[in-house]
Amino acid sequence: MTSRQRPPLWRDVRALRVAFQIVFLAVVAATIGYFYTNLLTNLNRLGIGTSFSYLDQSAGFAISGSDFSPSESFLAATLVGVQNTATVAVLGIALATVLGIVVGIARLSSNWLVRRAAAGYVEALRNIPVLVIILFWYLAVFLQLPPIDQAVEWAGALVLSNRGLALPWVERTGGLAVFLGCLAVGVLAAVASWVWRTRRNERTGAPSHRVRWAGIVLLGALLVAFFAGGRPLGLSLPERGELGTEQGLLLSPEYGALLIGLVVYTASHIAEIVRGSILAVPKGQTEAANALALSGFQRLRYVVLPQAFRIMIPPLANQYLNLTKNSSLGVAVAFPEVTRITRIAVGQQAPAPQAIVILMLVYLGFSLAISLVTNLVNWRLRRTGGA
Amino acid sequence: MGRPRFFARLALPLTFVLLLSGCIGGTEGNQQEGRAGQTGAQAQGNTLQQVKDRGTLNCGVNNAVPGFGSVTAEGEYRGFDIDFCRAVAAAVLDDPEAVEFKPLTAEQRFTALQAGEIDVLIRNTTWTASRDGQEGATFLTTTFYDGQGMMVRADSSYQELEDMDGTTICVLSGTTTELNLASVFRARGIDHQPRTYEDNETLQQAFIQERCDGWTSDKSQLAGVRSNWPDNQGGPEALRILDETFSKEPLGPVVRDGDSQWAQVVDWVVIATIQAEEFGITSENVDQMQDSDNPEIARFLGGEDFDAGLGLPNDFAVKVIEAVGNYGEIYNRNVGPDTTLGLERGMNRLWTEGGLHYAPPYR
Repeated sequence: MTSRQRPPLWRDVRALRVAFQIVFLAVVAATIGYFYTNLLTNLNRLGIGTSFSYLDQSAGFAISGSDFSPSESFLAATLVGVQNTATVAVLGIALATVLGIVVGIARLSSNWLVRRAAAGYVEALRNIPVLVIILFWYLAVFLQLPPIDQAVEWAGALVLSNRGLALPWVERTGGLAVFLGCLAVGVLAAVASWVWRTRRNERTGAPSHRVRWAGIVLLGALLVAFFAGGRPLGLSLPERGELGTEQGLLLSPEYGALLIGLVVYTASHIAEIVRGSILAVPKGQTEAANALALSGFQRLRYVVLPQAFRIMIPPLANQYLNLTKNSSLGVAVAFPEVTRITRIAVGQQAPAPQAIVILMLVYLGFSLAISLVTNLVNWRLRRTGGA
Repeated sequence: MGRPRFFARLALPLTFVLLLSGCIGGTEGNQQEGRAGQTGAQAQGNTLQQVKDRGTLNCGVNNAVPGFGSVTAEGEYRGFDIDFCRAVAAAVLDDPEAVEFKPLTAEQRFTALQAGEIDVLIRNTTWTASRDGQEGATFLTTTFYDGQGMMVRADSSYQELEDMDGTTICVLSGTTTELNLASVFRARGIDHQPRTYEDNETLQQAFIQERCDGWTSDKSQLAGVRSNWPDNQGGPEALRILDETFSKEPLGPVVRDGDSQWAQVVDWVVIATIQAEEFGITSENVDQMQDSDNPEIARFLGGEDFDAGLGLPNDFAVKVIEAVGNYGEIYNRNVGPDTTLGLERGMNRLWTEGGLHYAPPYR
């Protein structure tokens, strides 16, 4: 057979490839279509609606730790859940990253005790299921704190009991308009000073100290705004009552258990990622840094970590997504995050298929947001060739 | 690759695919027939036939409420609701042990019923309008008239609900108690913080650790929990149930919508236990009673060739009473004054004694 002649269609590899893809797509579409029509048929048979109109009905249940009223809608309840999940996810990601980086670097320390301790932490926590860790923190730690009538109080500012940790918080005591206006001006001034110092550095090579400058400008603006606005913010200190704390910010033990459990678990994974990426930086870099007589800290800060950072970002993004999705384990400790709210709603006559679809879309939204941010960071690093 | 080898390599996966499609096609075909059969017969479900074909009854129950549905140390199910499951199995399958008990949480129970995982839900479930309308469920004769109560620690000072202003209250999610707590307290202007847990075990831990000041649930459930309170926490004397009953909680069996024959079957099994107590028939004298001179009793126990057209054998009442006894026996065995729960009959007496149980005539 010469190369000009095409083989018959049933033997032509290119045609076969296209044919297989078409068949595969048809099979996938048919499967999805079958499941979908099956679901609709059965829902209709049972008289359960397929619309999303349940979202406007009043929920009937209350949500602890928020001022959600039972007469508000299912949609409002879901939004409270989303807010709670976001609180856990954002704070969890921040704390887990910090802890993970510290432990990861500690695993490479030249100090034997530090190295072994970090290794022990990582090995222990990586191998325990995260649900068990969360339950441990809730049942064995937070619930075992003293009950409210024997609560521990520190300097009138902190109240610790098994009803939660009460912290001082800011509260509005006056109009915020003047305060926010001055603050906005202050922020602009800080940005302007940052840009000025950077340009000055680029032009003359003198150290920019831009962080210091911008920080001082911002702090000054804050003070000016505070006093010019007539002290619109006050400190609310928690007071211990018989049944709980009034005022201040209350962090419930359920929130604490979920947050700390997730942070501790995810940090052990992040530590391994950090360690791996530091080890992945070519050895020549470390040797060159030593040749320049940089101290250990300077070597880390100026040579190794910036390069390791670039390698870490994709697996780190993965861990952030895992943390966000693992926050759904709040159901085990009755923390009202979005999965728990959805389950409560389904138990109180919200139709299950629609509620779960909304739940999946919520998590999809979170994951896409995290992926977006990390892809942006990744892209910037690649563009500028390192931190 | 030579032609013969190509076909030889294709032969094995091709045979495999053909066999697989044959199996799947077979079951699909059966399902199609089954569904067509259903739509043919006025879109009625055929749970009764399915249960008889399967040979066991799938009963959705509780496994954590002493007196109503719990598991003994040997792994056996015991309880008020459990006995009614056995009664249905005795009537339909002639074997009170032919039951598969499926423990469900409050959040799962209606989804499991809708999905067909269970044939009947007998799990201290309250009959409400929205459950009737929106859950694809049909509620049958109430077996236990209950109400919602509040349990507190015995050394606390709460005597009425109004005393509980500002307290934290533990409740199970997916229950009417959760909704009642919110609406009753709001109506009376009592401030509270609810803590909703998914299961009783975590809730109990939180209550023991004084995470919450009150535990609200159906009074029968609270009595059960209190009776089982561990001795190292002070035993039952460490807890107190407030006198006030602040809602109606009629508990009874639930079946799926769209299967009136099955609903009638379960309904009349329950009614039979109540009617038996009214006639004075117990598991001990049911044999003598079959020779009774009273035509009502004789008909009830399967004499006079009377077939009510329910889909049950004529002597189903005899099978039920031999298996679990009459309503009074079921009550006294599981939750009565002589048990650890110690609940008086109260509203659960027969109508002849001033209570609410009133069986329609078997005629």
